Amino acid sequence: MNYSFNFNAVSFEPLLKGLIVTLELTLAANAIGLTFGFLVALLIMSRIAAIRLPAMLSVEFFRCTPAIVQIVWFFYCVPMLFDVYLDSMTMGILALGLNLTAFNAEAYRAAIQAVPREQLDAGIALGLNPFQRVLYIVLPTAFRASIPVLLTNGIGIFQQSALVAIVAIQDLMYQGKSLATETYRPIETFTVVALIYFAVSFPVTQIVGYLERRRQLLMS
Amino acid sequence: MTMSFSPPLVKVESLHKSYGPNIQVLKGLDIEMKPGERVVVIGPSGGGKSTLLRVIMGLEKIDSGSITFGGKPYISSAGRDKKTIIDTEVRRSIGMVFQHYTLFPHLSVLQNLILAPCKVRGEKKEIAIKRAQALLERFGLAAKANSYPAQLSGGQKQRVAIARALMLDPKLMLFDEVTSALDPELVAEVEQVILQLAAQNMPMMIVTHDMWFARNIASRVIFCAGGAVVEDGPPEQVLGSPKEERTRDFIDRVFHIRQ
Ligand SMILES: Nc1ncnc2c1ncn2[C@@H]1O[C@H](COP(=O)(O)OP(=O)(O)OP(=O)(O)O)[C@@H](O)[C@H]1O
Ligand SMILES: [Mg+2]
Repeated sequence: MNYSFNFNAVSFEPLLKGLIVTLELTLAANAIGLTFGFLVALLIMSRIAAIRLPAMLSVEFFRCTPAIVQIVWFFYCVPMLFDVYLDSMTMGILALGLNLTAFNAEAYRAAIQAVPREQLDAGIALGLNPFQRVLYIVLPTAFRASIPVLLTNGIGIFQQSALVAIVAIQDLMYQGKSLATETYRPIETFTVVALIYFAVSFPVTQIVGYLERRRQLLMS
Repeated sequence: MTMSFSPPLVKVESLHKSYGPNIQVLKGLDIEMKPGERVVVIGPSGGGKSTLLRVIMGLEKIDSGSITFGGKPYISSAGRDKKTIIDTEVRRSIGMVFQHYTLFPHLSVLQNLILAPCKVRGEKKEIAIKRAQALLERFGLAAKANSYPAQLSGGQKQRVAIARALMLDPKLMLFDEVTSALDPELVAEVEQVILQLAAQNMPMMIVTHDMWFARNIASRVIFCAGGAVVEDGPPEQVLGSPKEERTRDFIDRVFHIRQ
């Protein structure tokens, strides 16, 4: 191969602007996913089938369809079906946020249901009422247990957010594509883009690994 | 007249309990426990000892029968659908320590102790902390007040669990094999704490496989097998010279009498 690399052609300014948009998307989607994910988790654990089943079905829908299909569907179908026209950034946040909501709901549910029965028995023996048992035993234990998965899901959305470039949101991926076209330097540009995604994701995955190891120690 | 009629502390009458349609565990159990008694329940694995304690703690539904506490109705099964009715007010006067560790892992030792007093009884935090520190001191755990359960040994965890139950001033303590998950060298420190409570006349019901402990703690021993009481009497009799064949077999087999 006699390709001569020229990284000087890659200008960082548009990439940095793109990264900021990507981070905005990620943070906003996580805010949605963390709060609504919890509410949906409560719905999918409801004893009332009329609440539980639709909630479960929607969660499975988001988990069993490609994120890119969800994004495209959201951008083209929602305005037509519901006659709402939002700016593309809001739409992107909503699409990613709903996707994350589904995954986080499952994380919360698994963590809540993994609280050992003995803990709840002890709560009853100590005279805590059902509401207090949830508030003081189940939720604190479950929140801690779910943190590694929530972080993994959250950083997953950071990566998935690259998909919104196809609906013209000017995120890191979009800026990378334009830059590659302008400079005729796709190899250099996309290498830098990949490294930027990596530089943000890698520390988070390391933190997740640390938290999981520490948790195993604490639980033993 | 100083003598007065005192009702039994616990009265269990024809208690039936099953898990699902096919697992009948307690089959018409009757037990009457007087105030101040320390009842040790022994019996073969699967005989329903844990189930009995869990029912008395109000953790399980029952099929039929009733339990009174201090003469007051506590647990009964009533109505056409045999719903279990538990008086939660009465339940608060009973404390229990389990075989598995049940300290709340996200709370420090001190927080474990004051959670229920503050939230259930509305006790002032400062007062609860004072009482907790006094209890921890008594159990040799003062230095561990701010540790988390994961930083404690098994024996320390069980002693904290006992202290946690005592914070609510129970009128009856239930202990279900609280030392059987411990390394042998840690058993004594937990048993000492329970003996200390016994010396203060705390009424208790204890399930244990430890012969030495049973002899030293019991004022009465019940041998329970097949979901019913087989033999019931003072420890010297039930452990020393049991009347029933099944009791004798069990004690020979399980306790390996070292004499
Ligand atoms: N939650 C449950 N669901 C179904 N069956 C159960 C449950 N808990 C206990 N059992 C069954 O009920 C029977 C009595 O169990 P229990 O734990 O009361 O016995 P035990 O006398 O405490 O035995 P061990 O000495 O082994 O602790 C056993 O056959 C057990 O398998
Ligand atoms: Mg048992």
